[in-house]
Amino acid sequence: MKTATPTMHLGGLVLCWFLACVAHADTTLQVIDPWIREAPPTAAVHAAYMTLVNNSNQAVLIDSVTSPDFASAEVHRSWVEDGIAHMQPVSQLEVPASGTLVLEPGGYHLMLFDAQRPLQAGDTVTLLLHRADDNCILVKAPVMRSNDTGHHQH
Amino acid sequence: MNSFNSPGRLLVAAIIAAIAVGAGIWSARSLLRHSAPDTALSATRFPVARPLGPFELIDHHGKRFDNQSLQGHWTFLFFGYTHCPDVCPTTLSVLNGVAHRLADSGASARFAFVTVDPQRDTPEQLARFVTYFNGDFIGVTGKEEGIEQLTRQLGIVYMQVANEANPDSYLVDHTASVFLIDPDGRYHAVFTPPLDADAISTNFLKMREAYP
Repeated sequence: MKTATPTMHLGGLVLCWFLACVAHADTTLQVIDPWIREAPPTAAVHAAYMTLVNNSNQAVLIDSVTSPDFASAEVHRSWVEDGIAHMQPVSQLEVPASGTLVLEPGGYHLMLFDAQRPLQAGDTVTLLLHRADDNCILVKAPVMRSNDTGHHQH
Repeated sequence: MNSFNSPGRLLVAAIIAAIAVGAGIWSARSLLRHSAPDTALSATRFPVARPLGPFELIDHHGKRFDNQSLQGHWTFLFFGYTHCPDVCPTTLSVLNGVAHRLADSGASARFAFVTVDPQRDTPEQLARFVTYFNGDFIGVTGKEEGIEQLTRQLGIVYMQVANEANPDSYLVDHTASVFLIDPDGRYHAVFTPPLDADAISTNFLKMREAYP
């Protein structure tokens, strides 16, 4: 899995990717309802959720995620098995052909490390989803507080 | 409970019980195998509440948190760590929902989040984390031995998992249940995931009513 190096958010690489994202706006993959869970102040990690809809007849693979708003980002999956909560990095996300992949609390999510500025509900952050075919998807995700089901409030 | 009778389930229970030193929640469940749970949904209440042996921890104010801290009121215990962006915040949000529902019903209880990552979770770190979800929540940390003293008695499993992509940021797998301690400081019931604020509140109120 590609990971962001600490210098990535400072260097031109992100800018380069950012522009590539804008230049190759992706129409095959739709991002619905992205949101970042507001975290306690000084939290080291945030989680991002969204629904990915693949309108093409080929699977879409996402290899890595970067963000100018965080030092680094990874794709993780949480699950509960025999009463134990597990979490693991995932090397690639696959959105099936003509299908949907849901990133939601208790399942797939983007694990975002070290916010570059304090974030609270109402803020918006930028996420770049890098596809295996070098296209990328620019996502603007609002920071939202979760309600008592763990999901965000509409 | 029916699914527990299947051989596969029993095997899993045996493995977990073996990992969790002492009598854990799974072995407690096996004691209950032949009796129906007295409330539906997510709670398992033990026919006889189990006293807790000594443990010594500190809360997020740096004050001692031990058996005495569990006396005289109901306590919900949840185990997790603050570098956990998904499961732990979700559970604390659910417990905040429980706290509000109990307040609406005129019932009271304390809620303590016990870290299974004392290396990173200092009292200061926990204070910021737990009070974000509810100003009355208590964060608990301590020495590794203290955390083991408590988790062992509740059959809690936790283990550090290396994150190869990011070695500075290890993950911790941990038991996701919520544990209910009665006003005599005994292990009274366990709520297993999926956790739901309505189900936990309803079950708790029934147990509280039935409590001597």
